[in-house]
Amino acid sequence: MSLVWKLLRRHVSVGQLAGFFLANLIGMAIILVAVQFYRDVRPVIAAPDSFMSNDFLILSRDVGQGVRTDGVGFSREELDALAAQPFVLAVGEFTPARYSVTGGISFAGSGFYTYMFFESVPDRFLDVESDEWRFTEGDRTIPIILPRNYLNLYNFGFAATQGLPQMGEEFISQLMIDIEVEGGGRTQNFRGRIVAFSNRLNTILVPESFIEWSNARFADRPAADPSRIIVEVRNAADEALHRFLTTHGYRIEGDPGSGQLAFFMRMIAGVVAGVGLLVTALSLFIFMLSIFLLLQKNAQKLEDLLLAGYTPAQVARPYQLMSVGLNMLAAVCAIVAMLLARAVYMPMIGLLADGNSIGTGADVLSTIFAGLLAAIFVAMLNVLAIRRKVGGLWTQ
Amino acid sequence: MKVITLRHTLPVVFAESPPSGSDVWLAETTFRRGEKYLIEAASGTGKSSLCGYLYGYRRDYAGEILFDECDVRRLTKRQWSVLRNTSLAMMFQDMRLFPELTALENVRIKNNLTRHKTEEQIAQLFEELSITEKRDSLVGKLSLGQQQRVAFVRMLCQKADFMLLDEPVSHLDDANAGAMARVLEREAAAEGCGIVITSIGKHFEMSYDKTLAL
Repeated sequence: MSLVWKLLRRHVSVGQLAGFFLANLIGMAIILVAVQFYRDVRPVIAAPDSFMSNDFLILSRDVGQGVRTDGVGFSREELDALAAQPFVLAVGEFTPARYSVTGGISFAGSGFYTYMFFESVPDRFLDVESDEWRFTEGDRTIPIILPRNYLNLYNFGFAATQGLPQMGEEFISQLMIDIEVEGGGRTQNFRGRIVAFSNRLNTILVPESFIEWSNARFADRPAADPSRIIVEVRNAADEALHRFLTTHGYRIEGDPGSGQLAFFMRMIAGVVAGVGLLVTALSLFIFMLSIFLLLQKNAQKLEDLLLAGYTPAQVARPYQLMSVGLNMLAAVCAIVAMLLARAVYMPMIGLLADGNSIGTGADVLSTIFAGLLAAIFVAMLNVLAIRRKVGGLWTQ
Repeated sequence: MKVITLRHTLPVVFAESPPSGSDVWLAETTFRRGEKYLIEAASGTGKSSLCGYLYGYRRDYAGEILFDECDVRRLTKRQWSVLRNTSLAMMFQDMRLFPELTALENVRIKNNLTRHKTEEQIAQLFEELSITEKRDSLVGKLSLGQQQRVAFVRMLCQKADFMLLDEPVSHLDDANAGAMARVLEREAAAEGCGIVITSIGKHFEMSYDKTLAL
C-alpha cells in the first residue's frame, strides 16, 4: 500500500461513502428503470416509434349533419396556414386514387369481391415499417397497409357471427388479393399484398409512388383538394393546437387516445426519471460534501505532501480513484437492478403487447450505454472538483 | 538554478514600518550555488516568511525574488513541485513530518518521489545521526530533537541546488548538531549546492561564506 494512501485514507468515513453509494445506486436505478420501462412499454400503447417521438393527428373538415357535395377539402392556403403554426412540425396530405378499384379474395372455397379505394400519405407519417413497402412502375404486386381496426372488425364482428375463420396478421400477410383497377378507359389487374397493419392511419394505404403512377394512367376524375390531412405535432395535448382546430372547424379523426396515452406515459416516465435525477443529484451533493469534509480534515497532511514536492495531481489521485471507483460500482449495480426489474415487468408487457413488437435488446444496450456515459460524466465532475479543491490547498 | 536574487523584497506586514539595518529586506541580496549563508535573525524579523517566499508557499511580499532570471511569482504550481524535487530542498522549522508514519516512512515518502537515495544510504544517514533505533517508531512518539534529525534526512533525499534550513538545530545538543553539520557539509559539497540557514541564536558551527542579519 502506498504511503500516500496510508496517510490520506485517514478520516475516510465508511458510513458516508456507503450512504453515497446507496443513494447514487437508487437514483441511477430509478432513472434507468424509468427510461427502459418507457422504451419497453411505448410500442404497446403506440406504434413502434422512435424514442420520445411526436404525436400525429388526422384532420378532416366537419361534414355537418346533412349531405354535402361541394367538397370539403383543405385549400392550399389553409394547408400553408396550418404548417406555419408553431406547434405543427409537418403536414402531409392523403392522396386518393381517382379511379375505380375492385378487390377480391378467395380462400377456403369461398371468396368475396368488393369495391374499394386507395389512398397514400408520405412515408414519414407511417407508423409501421416494411421492407416490401415500395412500388415501381411495372410491378405486378402492390403492397397495402390496412388499419388494424379493419382486421378487428372482421375477426371479432364479421367472422365470429358468420361462422368464418378468424385470421391472424401473419396469415393475412400471406394472402394475395386480386385487384382490378379501372379508369380512363383502361383496365389492369394487380396482386395486392397486405404488408402491415397501422394503428394510426384509418384508410387503405398504398405507396405514394403507386398512387402517382396510377392516377396519371387511370384517373377519370379531376384532382381535388385533399379532404384529409395528417399532421405531426409536438404534443397532441397542446391547448393552442386545439384552439386552432376549433376556430377553423377542423375535426380530429378517430380517437387521438393513443397519442394522448403516449403523452401521459411520457410525462409519467419523465416525472419518475426526474425523481431519479433528483436523488442522483442529491447523492452527488452528499458525496461532494463528504469528500470536501475529508479534504478539510486532511488539509494539513495534503499541504505537507505538497510541500514535500508532491504535485496537486498526485495528491488528488487517491481520492479521485476512490470516487471514480464508487461511481462506476454504483452504475454497474444500477444497471443490474434495471435488468432485474426488466425481467420482472417484461412478461407483463408481453401479455399486453398483443402481437405488437416489444422492446428489443438494442434498446437495453443503448440504455446501459447511456447509464455508463452518465456515470462517467458524473465521475469526471468528481475528479475535477477534487482536483480544484486540492489545488485550493496550495498555500500562497 | 545558480543564483537566487532578492531585490527590494519586503514582507507586506512590514510595509508600515520597514526594518532598518537589514541585510536582506529592501536590499539587493544574492545567494549563489555552492556557497553557505547564515541568516541571523531576531524573533519577529520575518525569518520564516523568507523561507516561505523562497520555497513558494507564501507570496505576501513586495519587491522581486528571482531564481536566476525568472521572477518566482510567474512559476506555476507544477513548476514549484518540480523545483521541490530537483532544485530546492527545505527543512522546516516545524518539521512538517507525518506523525502517523514511522521515521523511515517519513523519509521514504520523499525518496519514493525522487529515488535519490538508496535504502543503504538512508540507513547510513540514520546511523550517522544516531536515530537508527528509532527507524520504525512513529514520528509522533519521537522527541523534537529526533524529529529534527528525521526531517533533516528527508531533506537530503533529493537533488538540490539550494538547501534551505529554517532553524535546524533548535532542539539539538551540541554533539548531534555537530554530527548534522558534518553530514550537511559533506552532502552539500557532493552536490555542489548552496546552503541557506536561518538561526535565532544557536547555529551550526560551519565556515559560512557570508553571514547576514535579517
